[in-house]
Amino acid sequence: MAVKVVIPTPLRQFAGKKDSVEIDASTVGEALAGLTSQFGDLRKHLFNEEGKLRSFVNVYVNDEDIRFLQKDQTPVHESDVISIVPSIAGGSLICCICS
Amino acid sequence: MNMDKYSRQILFRPIGPEGQEKLLASKAVLVGCGALGAAQANVLVRAGVGALRIIDRDFVEESNLQRQWLFDEHDAAENLPKAVAAERKLRAINSGVQVEGVVADVTSRNIEELVRGCDVILDGTDNFETRYLMNDAAVKLGIPWIYGAVVASSALTMTILPGRGPCLACVYPSPPQGLHETCDTAGIIGPAVGWASSIQVTEALKLLLGRESELHGTLFAFDVWRNRAQQVKPPIDPGCRVCGARTFAHLEEGGAAHVTMCGRNSVQIHQRDSRGLDLKLLKARLEQFGPVKANDFLLKFALEPYELTVFPDGRAIIKGTQDAAVARGLYAKYVGA
Repeated sequence: MAVKVVIPTPLRQFAGKKDSVEIDASTVGEALAGLTSQFGDLRKHLFNEEGKLRSFVNVYVNDEDIRFLQKDQTPVHESDVISIVPSIAGGSLICCICS
Repeated sequence: MNMDKYSRQILFRPIGPEGQEKLLASKAVLVGCGALGAAQANVLVRAGVGALRIIDRDFVEESNLQRQWLFDEHDAAENLPKAVAAERKLRAINSGVQVEGVVADVTSRNIEELVRGCDVILDGTDNFETRYLMNDAAVKLGIPWIYGAVVASSALTMTILPGRGPCLACVYPSPPQGLHETCDTAGIIGPAVGWASSIQVTEALKLLLGRESELHGTLFAFDVWRNRAQQVKPPIDPGCRVCGARTFAHLEEGGAAHVTMCGRNSVQIHQRDSRGLDLKLLKARLEQFGPVKANDFLLKFALEPYELTVFPDGRAIIKGTQDAAVARGLYAKYVGA
């Protein structure tokens, strides 16, 4: 089943400049694994050294935060939209994409 | 009260004459007066928000002017603290409201005192350390606050209503860290600042008018260059350490002894128990080592390849290094241990 993963602007440079990617997956975990195997540079921005999703990267299926669903086991269905929302520190000191 | 200056805004139905009275009776606190802060302050003061306190620890530099809309070349040439320059500018813009600039680093020791009694807190900061502190204070005191941040052409904002919606720690249990390689390269453009500050101020006006049901209620991202919006609805985290367990770890910390400022090769030193400094005496002492410039608010001391900016409260920003030990060494040698 193809789901759409929406890539936020700060991470697009690591995803072939694409703003979204269609991935075949049945869970969020599979979708993110598929995404990072396609775009290796994205991996360190999304996952920590232990391979866990970084806590300042939020992943939503449609409008729901996966931390409050079944995390990476959250099932996804045809035409679901997975959104990655990183935090931004930003401000005048241009600090950190936080990705 | 001269209401004529607000006539166009009063014609806007959700505000009206009663709403304007409410705005004039409101108090807002702005933490940080860089790009986002200056843009928000400008709109809040023009809109007639009755009292605005602006807290900022930094001073105006030429590279700020591209996006920090309150400041001009004179402010940069005079090395004015942003809080002072902002207060002067805003008083000239609208003498009918109270504007108070506070030159200070917001810490666990002063934040509750600085925000207590206000109706809304607006985020104009550039770091998560201060934002977690704001979140702790806002949740503890039950004051709404509005997160906003910008990088490159992307902006992100969220309105936090303590007890009624998710707080910052529900959404981001831990701060962004590492991967700083993008800090200096991503840059920032003014229109992205404009977008974030417009949403933040609009949310503030709705809150001050008591129109909570009209808040956007989301974590709201927008890229002004690519014209793409992302809006998601973060839930309250029942296990949240801040709004769930009401533990305020950031408020309980003793305050940072030093803060590394990312993105521009500077370290800030903040003495925990500062007794205050006499800048005139310090200037006389430092002139034997290198060129010193001072005004009523700060002193700048050039010591190649470093530059020390010292404030009367004992705080210093040391430019030319990102090494806290180097900065502490310079501080101890030239300012005092």
